[in-house]
Formats: sequence, C-alpha cells, structure tokens
Amino acid sequence: MALAQVSSNKCSGGYQKVFEHDSTELKCKMKVAVYLPPKAENEKCPVFYWLSGLTCTEQNFITKAGSQQAASEHGIIIVAPDTSPRGCNIEGEDESWDFGTGAGFYVDATQEPWKTNYCMYSYVTEELPRLINANFPADPENMSISGHSMGGHGALICALKNPGKYKAVSAFAPICNPIQCAWGQKAFSGYLGKDKKTWEAYDATVLAASYSGPQLDILIDQGRDDQFLSASQLLPGNLIAACSENKIPVVFRLQPGYDHSYFFIYSFITDHIKHHAKFLNA
Amino acid sequence: MDLYEVYTGSRLDVITEEVLSGDEEHGEEHQEEVKEEEVNRDLPTKEAFVVVSERTETRELSSTSQRFSTDTNDSLRFEAYVPSSDEEGTPSPDSSVDGHEDVFEEHKESEALFGVTAQQKLNKVNNIRTKLEEKVVEMENFAGHLEEIFLTVEENFGRQEQHLEQHCNDVLQTLSHRYDERAAALGEEKKRKLESLYTQLLGCGRTLDASKDLIETAQELYRTEDKRLFLQAVMPTMKRIEEFAKEKPDLTLVTPLEFDMPLADLSDVKTMMDSINIVPAPSAPVINPQVSNSATRTSLRVCWSLFSDDSVEYYELYYRPVLEDTPAADSTKGPDVFNVKVKETHCSVGELLPNVQYEFWVTATNTTGISPASEKAVYVTVPSPPVIRQRECSSCPEAALIRWESGNTNPVDSYTVELSETGTDGQSGVNESIVAVPTCESLIQLQSGRQYLIYVRAVNIGGPSDRSEAFTVSTTGTIFHLLQDTAHPCLSISEDGFSMFYGDEELPLSAMTFDDNTFARCVAVLGDLIPVRGRHYWEVELEEDTEYRIGVAYEDTQRNSYLGGTNTSWCMRHVLTPSRHKYEFLHSGWSPDIRITVNPVRIGLSLNYERGILSFFNVDLEQHLHTFYCSFLHYVHPCFALDNPGALTVRTGVEAPQYVHLV
Repeated sequence: MALAQVSSNKCSGGYQKVFEHDSTELKCKMKVAVYLPPKAENEKCPVFYWLSGLTCTEQNFITKAGSQQAASEHGIIIVAPDTSPRGCNIEGEDESWDFGTGAGFYVDATQEPWKTNYCMYSYVTEELPRLINANFPADPENMSISGHSMGGHGALICALKNPGKYKAVSAFAPICNPIQCAWGQKAFSGYLGKDKKTWEAYDATVLAASYSGPQLDILIDQGRDDQFLSASQLLPGNLIAACSENKIPVVFRLQPGYDHSYFFIYSFITDHIKHHAKFLNA
Repeated sequence: MDLYEVYTGSRLDVITEEVLSGDEEHGEEHQEEVKEEEVNRDLPTKEAFVVVSERTETRELSSTSQRFSTDTNDSLRFEAYVPSSDEEGTPSPDSSVDGHEDVFEEHKESEALFGVTAQQKLNKVNNIRTKLEEKVVEMENFAGHLEEIFLTVEENFGRQEQHLEQHCNDVLQTLSHRYDERAAALGEEKKRKLESLYTQLLGCGRTLDASKDLIETAQELYRTEDKRLFLQAVMPTMKRIEEFAKEKPDLTLVTPLEFDMPLADLSDVKTMMDSINIVPAPSAPVINPQVSNSATRTSLRVCWSLFSDDSVEYYELYYRPVLEDTPAADSTKGPDVFNVKVKETHCSVGELLPNVQYEFWVTATNTTGISPASEKAVYVTVPSPPVIRQRECSSCPEAALIRWESGNTNPVDSYTVELSETGTDGQSGVNESIVAVPTCESLIQLQSGRQYLIYVRAVNIGGPSDRSEAFTVSTTGTIFHLLQDTAHPCLSISEDGFSMFYGDEELPLSAMTFDDNTFARCVAVLGDLIPVRGRHYWEVELEEDTEYRIGVAYEDTQRNSYLGGTNTSWCMRHVLTPSRHKYEFLHSGWSPDIRITVNPVRIGLSLNYERGILSFFNVDLEQHLHTFYCSFLHYVHPCFALDNPGALTVRTGVEAPQYVHLV
C-alpha cells in the first residue's frame, strides 16, 4: 500500500498531486490523482471520487475539468483514479479504444483473460477508499461519487449497488443503460460473458428500478449536441423512466449546444461540486 | 425665603385689619378670628408645615385656607388631611408609638413572634411615613398656592391704590382748571365795566365844563353896562343857552350793576368723583396658541392672559368645531357655539371629537362690563389611534413594511411607529420609535430571528394618539399576502389569503370583471413581497397533478400574457402530458430541458436579490431543482398561477432551510 508521489502542484490554495501505488485488486501499478484542499491541512475532509470515461487516464480530469477551485472553496478532497489496469500484457488489451486499456467499465471481470486484472469495481469501491483513508486526512464516513460517460455509469452503479456508502452521486453524460447500448454490450460480453443476466448487476437503469436504501439525490447533466447521445450509447431516458417509477430523485438537465467533451464538464463541474458539498458538508 | 418675609410684613396686616373690621359686630367670634390670624401669620414659615401634625391645627389650617381661597381657583380648595381613626392603617403618629411599645411587650414573650410583628409594625410605620411625606408634599403645594394668593392680593391692592390716586389727581386737576377759568372770566368783566364807567365820567365832565362856560358868559353879559353891547350879545348867547338846554345829558349808568355769573356746572366732576369707586371694564383678553401635548382625544386645555391693569370677575370661553366642509359663506349657520364660564385664565374643555379643530375665543367680565372678544385661536384635539392593515403588512428577516389606516377623518400631521422586541421569555426589550412618518406606511429595519411588537400613533399639534393595536412581526422568514386585486376572476382566494382555487365551472366571459391590474389571460395572482433587496424564501404546496406556474414577476408584468412567457417574469411550470410530468423553468418563453423524476408537492422558492438568483427546491427531498441567474432590475413579487382547475397553497414566514444557501 505504499504510495509514491509522482507530481505535486499548488493549485487553488491546495495541492494537486499524483501518486503511484501497487494495486492488490488490479495486480499492477496504478496512478491516482488526489486534490487536497487547503482545509485538509488542518482537518479531515470529505472525499469526492471522480470516475473518468473511455480512453482517459487520471490526467484528463485534473487538467481539463477545472474542479479544483470549487473543491478548494468547499473543502473537498477529489480522488480521480485511472480508468483501467495498464501494462498487464493481456492479449488484445490495446486493440480497441472502447475495450481493454482505458475501458475498464468499472466492473469486476469474470471472464478470462480479464478477470485477474480488470476488477475496477472492487478497486474503486474498496481498495481505493481504503488507500485514501489511510494516507490522507479523509473523512471515511463522507464520500461521494461522480463521473463522465463510462465513469458516469461507474458512479451510478457504485452508488446504486452500495446504498448509503456514497452521500451523493452525480454524472455527466453517463452511459445509463449499458446492456442496451453498443459500448456496454461489447464490454459486458467481454468482461462478464454471454449471460446477460450477469450484466444487469452493472446496469444503472436496472439497478435503479430495484433500488431501495437511503434517499439519493442524483444530478445528471447531458449535452444536447452530444454525438453519443444521438448514437443511443447513453440512453438517459431509460434511467429517468426507471427513477420516476421507483421515486428516485433525479434532476436531469439537457444542456443545449454542449457535446461530450471536457468543455462540457468544465461548464458544469461547479454545479456538481456544489451538489456534492450540500450532502458532504451537511 | 424672601417671599415669606414679605408675607409676615405689612401685607398680612392689611388683611388682618380687614378681617377685624369685618367681624367687629360679632363680639366673640372676633377673638377666634384673631387667633386664626396668628396661625395664618405663622403659616408661611417652614416650621409651620413641619409642626402641623396635630389634628386641631390642621383643621384650623384648612378653615383658614378656605377663607383665603378667593373662589378664583378650584385647585386652591385644599382639603387638609385629617387623620381618621376609623381608617385602618392610618393611625396618628401617637398610635404608632404605642405600637412600638406593644412590640416591646411581645418581645418578652416570643422572639419569633417579635420578628413578624415588628415587620408588620415596620411596614405600618413605613406606610404612615409615606402618607406623612405625601401630606408634607400637599402642604408644600398648599403653601405654594398661598404664596400665589398673597402675591395676587398685594398686586391688586397696589393696583387699586394707584388707580385711586390717579383718579383723585384727575378730579383735583379738573377743579383747579375750572377755578382758573372762572377767575379769568370775572377779571375780564370787571375791567370791561370799569372802562365804560370811566368813559361816562369823562362825558359828564365835559358837559359840566360846557355849562360852566355858558353860565360865566351869561353872568358877564348880565354885568355889562353898555346896553347896546348887551343887546348886541344877548341874543346869540340866549340862543346858545337854549341850544345847550336842548341837549339832555345822559345820566343813566352805562353798565349793569350785577356781575353776569353763570351757574357752575360741576356734574362732570361729580361723575368723576363717583367713578373713583368704579373699576373700568376689562379689555379683550389675549388667547394663547395651543401648547403641544396639552390635549387628549376628547379634551383641550385652553389658556389666555389678561392685561395686567384689568380686574376681571370671570371669563367666558366660547368654542365651536371648525368644519372644513362647511362653506365659508354659510358661516352664520355654522356649528353650535359652546360657552363655559371660568374664573381662571385657563380651561380644560371636554367631550370633544378626536382630531378636530376647534375655534376658541374668550371675553372677560367684571362689575362694570364685558370686554370685547379676544382673537380667535384654533386648537386641535389629539387624533384617534391608527388601525394597522394586517393584510397589507409584509416582512422579511431584515425588515418589516407596516401599513395602516389613519383612523381619523381629518388628516393628521404625521405618524410615529414604535417597536419593542419581545424576548423568548416574554420580556419586552428595547423600544425604538420612528417619528414624523408622513404617510400611512413605514419600512422598518429589523434584526433577523427576533420577534417584535409594532405600534403606530397618529400625531398632530395636540400631541400623539394612543397606540394602535400591536402588530407582531417574527423575523424568521419572509411574510407576504396575496394582492387580491391582481387575481384573475376565475381564481378564488381563501379566507386566510394563502390558498387559491381555480374551480371546475367555466365562468362566462361576461361574468368576469377585469381591470388594468387583473391578470386577464393567465389564471394568476401576485404576492405583495416586501421591497427589500435581501434574501426571501417561501413555499408552495400543491397536488402532484396540479398544473401551475410559480415564481416571481415584476409588479408591472404584462397582465395579458402568460407568466414566464415574457422577460418580466421567471417561473417554474408544471405540465401534465399524456406520457409524463413535464417541468419547465420559464423566462421569456424559454426553458432549459430538465427532467425531474420525483414530482414535487412542496416547492421552496429562494430569492436572493444580491446574487441575482431565484432557486426552486423540492422541499420534501431537499432537492435543488433549478436556479435562475438574473439581475433583477426592480423589485419582484411572487407570482402564482393555475393553468388548469386545481388548488395551491402558499406558505410564508417559513425559515429558509440551510441548503437553499448552498446554491
């Protein structure tokens, strides 16, 4: 569990750092970005976990989303892990951009050859919080989760599968119903096998329909000009219908003119951090 | 103490003499009077009051005072305190001493009992002391009155003396003037008579001379020897003598012997002498302008003064209300004139109407006659208390806007708003007043999270009215009422003013009355939000299926367009489509595309002028729904509309939950 600091830059009064560690879940070296607000120098702070989308590393969010200012103001630690194990020398891991490296989909793989390393769900929900709580002034009772695209899917399933674990959840253009879209079907069949029943355990829409637990307040932003929305990869309508049915509070904002990029995330990240702060600092 | 010395001097002696002379016939009473007089003489010294504790002396004092109160001032009718043995708790100083002895007796028997009894006795003694102190104060007041009387008597005597002296001088002057006139007239006459007598004397002498001459000529002639010469001269001489004899000398006196003495007319002197004892009729008194705070709602204290030379027996005060709607030409038919007779130079007039102008004038009367009327002075009674319009008052955590009705038909000068903070323990805190409020409303800055009682008084020159009924303000949340005059005719508003209903029955257009302020298209109503650029929060409760628009709008938002359809309103709209509940956040007819999975039934609206934000929350979930960012150029009002039959309830005065400030 040794953490090695890769970089440290002062940012918005606090520090944006990157660490490297040997992951027991993923059996490889993993990089993780941690933003420590000024408040963390003196007291324990809540932790906001950010899950990035396809092809991303820990760098995209910390360099493009502009989250540090709001995190500094609200006294929130932001933890942004990488999106998949890397350098595991698995055959075919670098063949396509939407499967393998950079596309862990936040599931625990059950199929060979992926099941040894591709346990991103356990990494994100178990190993990473343990690591953070042990090494930083983090309040273990106060964590929340958010993400973009594949990371939005990851954030939603983490929250829905672990009632009470996350105080707040939000998502940018999440893949809401992966079992119904091309990306999800490709990834799930690769990691989880042909049995579609096993896929449902990682599908936000399916999970939402049967969720029961402490009240969630989900904020979802979606660009209207997102090419993946029109390509039916994201399917937010299905999730909204399930949440409406199961009375899970969601505010879904379709933002006209915005696409799937980090420019879109940058535009609304402050709203999301405020949304999380409301529950984390309550 | 100078004054006292004056009294013990000559002035009192004068009074004594009067009393003595007045009572001479009553032999025995005379002696008593002298005694009383002596008491009287001691009275003005301080010791007299300290000593006065015995009943007999007090009685004497009171009777003496009666004699000196010249019935000119009611307040001088001093009722001396006569300790009454019937009255419990007011024993004479002697009995209290007895009481102490009793206490000592009891002390021997029981020390505990002593404590209690001693305390009681002590209380009694204290009571008595308080009463005695009161008496001393009364006595001192009485002495003050006596001083006044002495001064007045002295002044009056001085004045009368002066008057008498002047009058006598006048008479003497008149008489001597008459004497001079008469003496001069007599001298004239004498001179004239002597002159005419002397002239006559001269005439006589001349006649005598002429006669003598003639006689001598005749005698000479007679002695003439020469007959011829005699004959020559006799004839002319005879002629001369005959002629002379013809002239009859006037031997009557040219002047009458009697002096022409007209009868002296002394009637005017007589009237002057008579009038020495008559006081002149007083001149018109001078009425004073109204003194502030001298009036009540139904009474006025009017003061005037007289010229110092006048002596006056009584005044007659006339008054009548000044009615502004009575035409001036018709003033003869004006309101009835009331009339009061008083001896003082002031009078409190009662049974008047509140906040009404009264015209006063006064005449003075003495034995000689009645003075001309004084100038007319206008006095005003104090107004009635204003009535706070509870439904038109609004408040927020920083301020309250209080509106009221004058409560008076005539205009008043200004209003005073008083506020007191009521603590949680029911204690009333610091009082503040805002004075000289010209209109019937006032915006008052307050501290948040407190409770205040607010009162209003109406003020005119006569003084402030009583307090209005209290208005309670809690500065926990924002409180407003609906502006019923903006409500669409189809919208009915509940008794308490916070619920609105849009009925199922369609009203025919003809049955609807619209005016410029009424929403004509949107079945809407505005709320009367306090004009304070702070933070405001209120909630709306409704059914899940109700179709509504709620938000804010400028006061002058177009009444014939839908709320949210223009750039003068911002609102959340709920539309029930066949497939789903649709929520819009409308401004200028545009809404962001927002999906909400749980339909709110209790919506919180948070308005923050400073940050220019209007946020909507699902209160039950503490869920943020949407925020408008807009710089409000003017004050906005909450707006509520029902797009389909249904109901909606507004909750005001709710403390804004903490999460609304996190937006």
